[in-house]
Amino acid sequence: MANMQTVFINPERCIGCRQCEFACAVAHSQSKNAALALAEDPVPKSRIHVSPGWAYNMSVPSRCRHCDPAPCEQVCPTGAMAHEETHGLVLVDVHKCIACAMCAMVCPFDAVTFHAQANGMPSRVVATKCDGCVERLDDGEEPACVEACKVDALLFGDLNTLVAAGRLQASAAVLAATTSQTPVEHPPATISGWRAWGESAAHISEEI
Amino acid sequence: MDTPDNLSKLSISNDAREMLVRAREEGIETVWDRLAAQQPQCGYCSMGVSCRNCAMGPCRVDPFGEGPQKGVCGADADIIVARNLGRTVAAGASAHSDHGRDILEVFESLAAGETSGYEIRDEAKLLALAKEWGIEAGDRSVPEVARDLADAMLEDFGSRKDKIGFLDRLPEQRRKLFDELGITPRGIDRENVEMLHRTHMGVDNDYANISLHALRTSLSDGWGGSMIATELSDVMFGTPKPIMSRVNLGALRVECVNIALHGHNPLLSDVIMQAAEDPELVALAREKGAEGINLVGLCCTGNELQMRKGLPMAGNHLMQELVLLTGALDAMVVDYQCIMPSVTDVAKCFHTEIISTADKARFAGATHVSFDPRRGFEIGKQIVALGIEAYVNRNPDRVRIPQGTMQMMAGFSVEAILEALGGTPEPLVEAIKAGKIRGAVGVVGCNNPKIPQDHGHVTLTKRLIENDILVLVTGCAAVANGKAGQMLPEAADMAGPGLSEVCKALGIPPVLHMGSCVDNTRILTLAAALANYLGVDVAQLPLAGAAPEWYSEKAVSIGAYVVASGIFTVLGVQPPIFGSQNVVKLLAADLEEVVGAKFAVEADPEEAAKLIIRHIENKREALGLPFVAADEALTDKVA
Repeated sequence: MANMQTVFINPERCIGCRQCEFACAVAHSQSKNAALALAEDPVPKSRIHVSPGWAYNMSVPSRCRHCDPAPCEQVCPTGAMAHEETHGLVLVDVHKCIACAMCAMVCPFDAVTFHAQANGMPSRVVATKCDGCVERLDDGEEPACVEACKVDALLFGDLNTLVAAGRLQASAAVLAATTSQTPVEHPPATISGWRAWGESAAHISEEI
Repeated sequence: MDTPDNLSKLSISNDAREMLVRAREEGIETVWDRLAAQQPQCGYCSMGVSCRNCAMGPCRVDPFGEGPQKGVCGADADIIVARNLGRTVAAGASAHSDHGRDILEVFESLAAGETSGYEIRDEAKLLALAKEWGIEAGDRSVPEVARDLADAMLEDFGSRKDKIGFLDRLPEQRRKLFDELGITPRGIDRENVEMLHRTHMGVDNDYANISLHALRTSLSDGWGGSMIATELSDVMFGTPKPIMSRVNLGALRVECVNIALHGHNPLLSDVIMQAAEDPELVALAREKGAEGINLVGLCCTGNELQMRKGLPMAGNHLMQELVLLTGALDAMVVDYQCIMPSVTDVAKCFHTEIISTADKARFAGATHVSFDPRRGFEIGKQIVALGIEAYVNRNPDRVRIPQGTMQMMAGFSVEAILEALGGTPEPLVEAIKAGKIRGAVGVVGCNNPKIPQDHGHVTLTKRLIENDILVLVTGCAAVANGKAGQMLPEAADMAGPGLSEVCKALGIPPVLHMGSCVDNTRILTLAAALANYLGVDVAQLPLAGAAPEWYSEKAVSIGAYVVASGIFTVLGVQPPIFGSQNVVKLLAADLEEVVGAKFAVEADPEEAAKLIIRHIENKREALGLPFVAADEALTDKVA
């Protein structure tokens, strides 16, 4: 676990383009092709979900965190939720899943949804969640959502390295707040101008 | 994000809120639900840094600066944002100008005696326009003069001229500036086509140069297509004069056949108003159990008719679905622009017939009656008859009309304003010089569900008139202010002491209805006339523009031509440019040095009011007029 590769989410970077959702759905299609995937039955579903924030121009992507121990795994009555060894991912065995939704009830991130899936019994609705793009990892690729994210809101790498990078970012802010060091401009003016309008618009309803 | 539970936060007007409750109860989807379902909206697109102009793309630039910084072609954020903005202006200018062309073509047919239901209703205006365009009337007949004017105006759409005709209304210094900057609009269609050319891959790759052409394109709208639409509509349908009217959903009448006229172009709606008075149709309505035929207006088609005939308004842009929810609307006649595709879906929940009329604007689920000016009156009658047939299917148990209407005054063409002033701008100029009126602001533009409906328009206008600033409104802003009771002569009491005194002396409201969105050209004409009267440039006048709730491409073109004409403009909704700091800097700062005016973006109307008041006092100071130091003006007067 210590040097585990995972997808790290940086909400400050998310601009709500939802390209991760699209790439996820295509990566979990039968054809792996955007144009053909739309015609598949069942239509592939995204396992990453971009939710809006409290104002316009704010959003955050969320996906299964592949917890260990995983609450979903602990409550699953059929053993459908289980860790795989190589990458430490929590995977759903769609053949064992009875769609009881115990996993969804205990999931701290509301990351489990229920849809028909092509691999297995397409006529049945089963637990559907991030599989960490296990097939892509086996091929030495990044998860599809990370590849699609051009603003680094989704990062793939060693957990501790990513955490350390985040700490570095925060250290600039801490130093700016506690010392006379000039704060690093973060985020850039383009983004802060864009977000400022969203916040301003959200506050208007307080006037009514 | 679900639609907020507190529906009263979506709109400030009670008629809208009542219908929103009904929509919620009956599970009928509206624009607010769809906005919520779209959250979050794509940041690349809302910052303007996505490009799908070619098949090497689509591309996007990471605004955080770490991902891709250039499209496949090499365009950076500056180029992509400027190209997108340029195309937006071209689409808006094209919409207005195509509307203008439609009016002009009917005017040309009218001059040739080929129409039914149309006449020259303002001959004096026709002759004045002919004179302005250098057409000798002599002892020729009116249709002959009209033909020559139509020909001259049609030339403005082409590429054989070096400047469009109405530009001469501007003060000389501004026309010279346009020449120096290379932004004199040459032909209406030409500037739009050239914008599409320039924004093709590998043509104009200089963000500032693209932005300048965006100004030129917008000027071809404001001083071209839109102005032709306004002026010729006045000639054919009458130049507006002050007239009382009513507004909000209470304009619908339970005992009548209710027909809403929606869209932008007065060509057909004017003949429908004539047809609704046809004795045979009135008899038919009575035969079916109605007491009569009640027409109501929506959006700018409604504004055109309210200005000239006092037609009651059902509402503005965001009321178009809600008017259907009354269950009392029998037909909605649509022409084009701003008609949501969703109206046919909402209409399916009721008996309402949606009747499309423009061959260039078809709607799945609508009944199409193709408009033809040669048979205008006949088609008008056919449409009214469809409304009467639909009335028979109305379910009285499902009728819920919000009660009561608000009175409002409309009809302030430039001619009407001058007449109210005694035939000369002098009293207005003197009132401005003396400081009774600090300045004038055009509050215009659409509704956008991102801003609580009408809150931006009404709050900004209220603050401005309180501070003795005369407000000129068009489009959705006019409906919003009408509903708020700010457009009655009695509303002079809501204004500051100076403006109140002037309004009471003239018997006018402090907020003047100048028409539809193409009629923003009336504001341009008035601004130019004031500048010419004083011998100064438009940019020196204590004027401003605001579009607190804009949504459409047309509004972007309007904002651009207002700024290019020298008037500071505040946008309430963010345009998709924030991905390029250079474009933002150009439009919100540097443009001041180029055209004497710039843009600002401010969602909160209270803050927008402060920006505008500060701007107007600064302009007064520069003109040597009595002024209030900015900080003082704000702390003293703005709540």
